[in-house]
Amino acid sequence: MQNKILKKDRIAGFLDHLAASHNLIAPVSEDKAFTVFKKVLSAAEVDLNFTNTLIPPKNYFFPAAEKLFAFSTNGGDIIIEEPQRSEVSVIFGIRPCDIKSLSLLDPVFYGAFPDTYYSSKRENTLLIGLSCREVLPTCFCKAFGTHPTDGVGADLMLTDLGNYYLVEILTAKGSSLLERNTGFFSDETTDSAVLEKELLKDKLSADFIRKPDLSGVKQILDKVFEHPYWGELAAKCIGCGICTFVCPTCHCFNMIDTSRPDASGSRYRCHDSCMFPGFTKMAGGHNPRPTKVERVRNRFMHKLKYHLDRYNLEGCTGCGRCIAKCPVNIDISQIITNIREVVKDD
Amino acid sequence: MNNITQELQKQAKKLLEDQVVQLVIGYGYGSDPFHVTPVFIRNPDHVENLIWNPFCVNNLTKYLTEYKYLPGKIAVVIKGCDSRSINRLIQDNQIERDKIVLLGIPCSGILEVDKIALKTGYRLEIIEFGEQDKEYTLHTSKGSFNFNKKDSLIDKCYHCNNHNPVVFDILLGSKVEENSSTNKYTEIEKLEKLTVEEKSKFWDQYFSRCIRCYACRNVCTACTCQECIFNVAKPSWVERINNLSNNTSFHLIRAFHVAGRCVDCGECDRVCPVNIPLRHLNRKILKDLQELYNAPIPGADNNTVPALGCFVSEDPEEFM
Repeated sequence: MQNKILKKDRIAGFLDHLAASHNLIAPVSEDKAFTVFKKVLSAAEVDLNFTNTLIPPKNYFFPAAEKLFAFSTNGGDIIIEEPQRSEVSVIFGIRPCDIKSLSLLDPVFYGAFPDTYYSSKRENTLLIGLSCREVLPTCFCKAFGTHPTDGVGADLMLTDLGNYYLVEILTAKGSSLLERNTGFFSDETTDSAVLEKELLKDKLSADFIRKPDLSGVKQILDKVFEHPYWGELAAKCIGCGICTFVCPTCHCFNMIDTSRPDASGSRYRCHDSCMFPGFTKMAGGHNPRPTKVERVRNRFMHKLKYHLDRYNLEGCTGCGRCIAKCPVNIDISQIITNIREVVKDD
Repeated sequence: MNNITQELQKQAKKLLEDQVVQLVIGYGYGSDPFHVTPVFIRNPDHVENLIWNPFCVNNLTKYLTEYKYLPGKIAVVIKGCDSRSINRLIQDNQIERDKIVLLGIPCSGILEVDKIALKTGYRLEIIEFGEQDKEYTLHTSKGSFNFNKKDSLIDKCYHCNNHNPVVFDILLGSKVEENSSTNKYTEIEKLEKLTVEEKSKFWDQYFSRCIRCYACRNVCTACTCQECIFNVAKPSWVERINNLSNNTSFHLIRAFHVAGRCVDCGECDRVCPVNIPLRHLNRKILKDLQELYNAPIPGADNNTVPALGCFVSEDPEEFM
């Protein structure tokens, strides 16, 4: 499809227009250490210079806490209140690793029992991707076959090329959004912009510090369920939930019912973490993952093996959030590299 | 290899070879130049994995309680701030003094990774570090870089009360000069001056972003409960539902629960992924303890009974 150009001086107008016509979700920096995708009402709230957000845009589709329904009684009648249907939304500024994360989550939420809470938002949301300008020291998306300017999965892909953005139209949904907002875009030729984007891609591709090689890793993991290596990793793990809660592909949740004496209440689902001891605790007290060893093993098996077993898709996008935030420097890119050596030593 | 690392490896090797200890908990190289990672050494041939440099930020004493029932003794590497945790763990009967061998390191401050990396980038290896009175020198594969201690350290180190361990068995390196000024609570005084509405606005902004990962609790050496109320589903003391009201309950309960036991090691503040200034809560309580009971920072010595763990008839009782 045809590309467009969005001049830098028109971006604020475009975002303001989007915010007026849609539920606009965009990166907002509350302080230098906390950037998050959230609803914005104007372009002024959006941080266009962000690297990536700490909290992944996954949280729009699958919030940390989401009310599933509420109930109350009126006389003898029970009144069930369901959440409002999702609004038509636009996520602006989603990075390639996070665009990819949604494609890894889709088969989970669209399984035998499609999850309408997720799917209604997913289907009502248009993704405007934004190429990275910088590769962070913790980034390794290239290892998973994507790259910092990869728009696959987005409806529109923007790339900041100095004075303007190259706008690539990737889907019919993206195309129709542009048609409704033609005034902001120029039709000038984009050949040189496409070339510049290629140069940016090459430059960024050379900037990766972490380059783990995934070939054969799944085959190794198929055989090392019982291995002292997991114990070594688990020894340093403090069992917090940071890695799972900042992860763009983690999708486990817990259901919580609340009720009040007046016979009203609600059911929520909340992100849960396989790093927590209670995650697998069963009625009666048995816990099939009783120590950190089983829990740490599960996390890396899920990312690098189980998701592949189930969906033939990787469970990690190489966004590097868990590496940046782990209090004890447990590093999935290092594990991918080390696992080969570990097995060789046996 | 710097002198402290050399001495550390030598002592660790001897402790393991002589079977004085079964395990040495220390710092090892992390996955990038500016991060270290906890290492657990059982074999005397593996002591070369132990290092010391000004990035060794973790308080490793947290791991001790996990090895409470390990046959034999455990050696652990501690800085001054971490050493206060040792006294507290002993006072709370969480670990026996005879169970542990303390490898104390005098530390004049930990470097702030972001500030260092801004100057050096990540594409290098640290070969060695040198320390002078006023600065650290990092000798790297890309040349040497000097960092003035005055503006390159993590925040907590500027107000450090114990650059030297307050308790140790083996001291690695020579003692460093302590801060001349006593513990200052300027940032807390600023917060105290805010109106209730302003305070509420300040904390609401932070508590609302809490992701309830419990890293602050899990890393805390004062958090030693076998079963934490935040893990108990029934009764649900604090709902797991992530919202401002539940998050506020979580943080305030946590802060009060460690009151009088928090040693101000700053680990909760460091590990918080969403940048909640948790140390402000702890230090407000430390300030109150000092003003009300003239209590030192918990763990600063092993003889002072915890302010909230003892009754003295002279205690202020305005609330009675």
